[in-house]
Amino acid sequence: MATALAQRQAGGGVFRLPRWLAGDHPFPWLAPLTAMLLAFGVYPLLYAVWLSFQERSRVTRQFEFAGVRQWATALADDRMWGALQTTVVYTLACLAIQLVLGMAVALLLDADRRGYGLLRALMTLPLVVPPAVTGMMFLLMQDAQFGVLTYGLVQAGLLDPTQPLLGASSTALAAIMLADVWQWTPFMVLIFLAGLRALPKEPFEAAAIDGASPVQAFRYLTLPMLSRVIAVAVLIRSIDLFRIYDYVYVMTGGGPGTLTETLSFYAGRIFTLANFPYAATLSLIVLLVLNAAAMLFIRLTRIRF
Amino acid sequence: MHGSVATRVLRDLAAWATVLLFMFPLFWWVLSSFKPYTAIFNTTPIFFDFTPTLDNYRVTLAGASRVGLAVERGGGVGTVAGGASSYFSIPSIVDSIIVAVGSTVLAVILATLAAYGLSRWEMRGKQHFVFWVLAQRMMPPIAVAIPIFFIFRDLGLRDTHLGLVLAHTLINLPLAVLLMKSFLDDVPRELDEAAMIDGASRLAVFRMVTLPLVRGGLAATAVLCFVFSWTEFLLSLQLTTSIRTIPVKISTFVTSTGTEWGFITALGSAALVPSFIFIMLVQRHLVRGLTLGSLKD
Repeated sequence: MATALAQRQAGGGVFRLPRWLAGDHPFPWLAPLTAMLLAFGVYPLLYAVWLSFQERSRVTRQFEFAGVRQWATALADDRMWGALQTTVVYTLACLAIQLVLGMAVALLLDADRRGYGLLRALMTLPLVVPPAVTGMMFLLMQDAQFGVLTYGLVQAGLLDPTQPLLGASSTALAAIMLADVWQWTPFMVLIFLAGLRALPKEPFEAAAIDGASPVQAFRYLTLPMLSRVIAVAVLIRSIDLFRIYDYVYVMTGGGPGTLTETLSFYAGRIFTLANFPYAATLSLIVLLVLNAAAMLFIRLTRIRF
Repeated sequence: MHGSVATRVLRDLAAWATVLLFMFPLFWWVLSSFKPYTAIFNTTPIFFDFTPTLDNYRVTLAGASRVGLAVERGGGVGTVAGGASSYFSIPSIVDSIIVAVGSTVLAVILATLAAYGLSRWEMRGKQHFVFWVLAQRMMPPIAVAIPIFFIFRDLGLRDTHLGLVLAHTLINLPLAVLLMKSFLDDVPRELDEAAMIDGASRLAVFRMVTLPLVRGGLAATAVLCFVFSWTEFLLSLQLTTSIRTIPVKISTFVTSTGTEWGFITALGSAALVPSFIFIMLVQRHLVRGLTLGSLKD
C-alpha cells in the first residue's frame, strides 16, 4: 500500500495525461451524457426555434425566412387557443381527480394486514400499460354498440343510448379523462403510500391520546408532513398531463369537431399535414407554457433534485 | 388503527373493491382476447358464456391467416372479411425488443457514468446542470419529434432502429441520470477514497467497488427505461414507417372497415406480459423511479 501511494505521488511514468482526463476529475464522466444531450436535445430545440421562423415558399418549396409570421398566426389562431384551453381544462381536472382519489386510495391501502401487500402490487399494474393500449381499452369499453361501460351506464339509467360516450360533445373529454384517471391515479397512490409509510408514529399516538379525531390528525399532521411528496407528485403529473397526446390520438382523433383537440395533438396534426414551420411553432408553445409553469412551481415549492 | 372488527372488515371490503375496480379494464381486455369474433361484438356484454379460443393469438403471434382458420372450421372463404397477413405481429415484437433493449443499454451506460460524476465530485453549477438534464424531460415528445424528424432525415437515421434507439435514449436519460444519482448518493464516498488510497485507479474503484453496490438500483433503472421505450407511442409513430413498435402496430388494427378488437386485445395482452413481470421484480424501487429520484423509498 505504501509503495502504491508513493508511486502515485511521484507521478510514475514519462508521459502523463492531464489531470482532468486522467480520472480524478468529473469531466470524463459527464462528457458522454453532455454530448448526447447537446446533439439530440439542444440542437433539435434550436432547430425547432429556427424552423418556427421559416415558411415554405410556394414557388421553390424551400424554407425561407418569414420573421415572426408563424408566431403571429399562432396568436391569432382560434383553434390554437381552443386547444390550449382544452389542454388546461384537461390538466387541471385530471390533476384534481387523481390527487384526491390517489390520496383516498393510498389511505385505504396503508395497512400492514394480510393481503394489503398484494393489493398495493396490483395497483401498480396500470402504470406499465402502454398509453396507446389504455386508450384502446377504454375505447372498447365505451363503444356505443357493444361497450361494457356504455351498457352498464345505460342499464343504470345514467346514459342516453343515442348519445355515444366518445361522440357526444358533453362527454367526449370526460371519456378520455377516464382513461387518464385509470392509468395515473395509481401513480399518486404509489407515491403517497411511500410518503405515508415513512411517517413517524409518535405524533399520531400523541394526537390520539390528546383526543384528536382521525380527520384532525389527517388535516394537521399527515397533510403538512406529506407536503413535499405532494408537491413532487403534482409537478411530475402536471408535466405529463400537459403533453397529452396518445389517448386523444387513439380515442377520438380530436373530435367531435376539434372539441377534444389538445395542444400537442394539434401540433401533431399540423405536422402530419406537412406544415412543418407552424407545427414547430405550436410545439414550442407547449414547451414555453410548460417550462414557465414548472419553473414557477419549483420556485414556489422549493423542490430540489 | 384499533377499530372494531366491523370497521376492519368494512375497510378490507372497501380496499378489495377499489383494487378490483381498477383491475376490471385489464380483466375485460384479456378476457376479450380469448373471445370469438361474435362474442366481442355482442350488444349485451358477454362475461363467461362463450367458448374460449386462441384464434386471435394464432393470427397475431403465429401468423395463421383468418381465412385459413375459417376454412378449418368448415366455413367458406366468403364468410370472413379483410386480409390476414398484415395482422402478423412478430416483426413488430422484434422491432420493439431491439429498440427497447438498445435504448435501455445506451441510457443506462451514459446515465451511470454521469451520475457517478455528479455524486462523487462537488462542482460549481451542479444544481443547474441537474436541472438542465431534468428540463430535457419537460420537452413534449411532439417538440422533440418535429426537429428530430429533419435531423434524422439528413443523417440517414429516419426509419432505422438506431434512430429510434437514440430518440428513446434521449427521453430516458433524465430519469436514468437522476435515479442513478440517488442510488449512488447512498454509497458513501469514503468507500471510494479508501480503495483509492490502497492504490486502485478511479475506474477500477468504479467497476469493482461502487458498481456492485448499486446493482439493485441499476436493475430498477434499466427496467423503467425498458418499460418506457416498450410503451412509447408518439416518437415511434412519427419517426418510423416500416419499423413499427407494438403500440404503433396495434393502432393500425383500427381500419376504415372496422376495428379488429380480437387481434388488438390479443397483441395488447401479450405486450403487457414482459412489463408486468419486470415491474414486479423492481417493485421496491418503483417510487424512486417514478419521481425521478427526488424521493427516497
